[in-house]
Amino acid sequence: MDFSIIIESLPPLLKATVITVLLAVVSVVFALILGFFTALARISKIKLLKAVSSVYISIFRGTPLLVQIFVIYYGLPQIDIELNPIPSGVLALSLNAGAYLSESFRAAILAVDKGQMEAAVSMGMTYGQAMRRVILPQSIRIAIPTLSNTYIILIKDTSLVSVITVTELLQMSTLIIAKTFEPLTIYLVAAALYWVVITFFTVVLDRLEKRTSRHVV
Amino acid sequence: MGIIQLQNIKKSFDENVVLKDINLSVGKSEVVVIMGPSGSGKSTLLRCITFLEEPDKGVIRLGENEVTAGNQPNKQRKATIRELRQNTGFVFQQFNLFPHRTALENVMEGPIVIKKMDRDQAKKKAIALLTKVGLADRMDHYPAQLSGGQQQRVAIARALSMEPMVMLYDEPTSALDPELVREVLLVMKDLAKEGMTMVVVTHEMGFAKDVADRVIFMDDGVIVEEGSSQEIFNNPKEERTKQFLQDVGEE
Repeated sequence: MDFSIIIESLPPLLKATVITVLLAVVSVVFALILGFFTALARISKIKLLKAVSSVYISIFRGTPLLVQIFVIYYGLPQIDIELNPIPSGVLALSLNAGAYLSESFRAAILAVDKGQMEAAVSMGMTYGQAMRRVILPQSIRIAIPTLSNTYIILIKDTSLVSVITVTELLQMSTLIIAKTFEPLTIYLVAAALYWVVITFFTVVLDRLEKRTSRHVV
Repeated sequence: MGIIQLQNIKKSFDENVVLKDINLSVGKSEVVVIMGPSGSGKSTLLRCITFLEEPDKGVIRLGENEVTAGNQPNKQRKATIRELRQNTGFVFQQFNLFPHRTALENVMEGPIVIKKMDRDQAKKKAIALLTKVGLADRMDHYPAQLSGGQQQRVAIARALSMEPMVMLYDEPTSALDPELVREVLLVMKDLAKEGMTMVVVTHEMGFAKDVADRVIFMDDGVIVEEGSSQEIFNNPKEERTKQFLQDVGEE
């Protein structure tokens, strides 16, 4: 293994790692918002909201992410919706992760003891007040482990947007290999960088989980 | 006219008829204890008073708020039910404290969120209430750090924080270890002495004898018999009441 190649290729790979992290962070923020409201729609009593959210979840969990990326980047221009590679990637990742996160949120909301809602409304709270003040703070704690899991998968899934020319970590590695002909070295460095990023977020999210559950036996 | 007035309350769960045409009036400062075998409908009746369970038929009046059962939900009706609930302190068998908030925060929650009271005032009030139930030294504890008896006393303080006209207790000591029952009953007794109107579903005969102005015996969805605790315990008229008292006595 040639160390000079590692040292030379490290700066561009690190830059690409930043792109990967940004893709993951921006997508997860959209996915959290989308997943949250989709979960509320799924448990609502309004049939239309229920139906729309169920169809959305079914489509995005039931098809490969790579196909979703192709439909958005290569397919949509045919009906005059043209998005650049990065927005296309973020859109696909957000929609995909949002479908999974909504199921986590839904399960977490339903996991809160029904006595909590009863206690809140029996005092005279509205449904909205009870949700905001009592149910959601508890369901977020319950949801954190599965949210973490989805986020870790999302970080890895960012590598798929390399196929639509986003120069994230995997695409950058491939470009460097085209010049250096050192696939083993470069791909191993890329793998190590993914590992570092994921381990960092795992530790952070573990701490968050411990912090939020410190009052609960 | 009573402060609580229930007229012709009926409730079924699927095929199972739980309440068959219940009429009940509770006067101001009256303490009513409801007893009966499990499945007799006593908890359902209590839950119907605050619409935690929606009755199929009947009219429920609490103070000035009157709600007819079975009507389509609309804004006005929902608001009336909320107002009715604000005037009712409900104490659950399983306490149902908010686990993510301290004892103090649990008691501040209603006044701040529902009554829009400012934080300092709500805090002062919560401190006074927790002191009253004997938990001045446990205010900053989370529910998981408190014993069952302490949690139930916090729950009573939380219910009182809304300054309710009546307190409803749904088997408040049934989930407690025997040695913790007394501290909760003492708090309830003190409240009764202060003139709080209370409806209590419980198996605690001693409490009924000491505190109840009226004991109601329910079975199979109807009020079988009612009277003073003296009358019910020493001289029950109905066969079902006698049988129940015998069964409870043998425990």
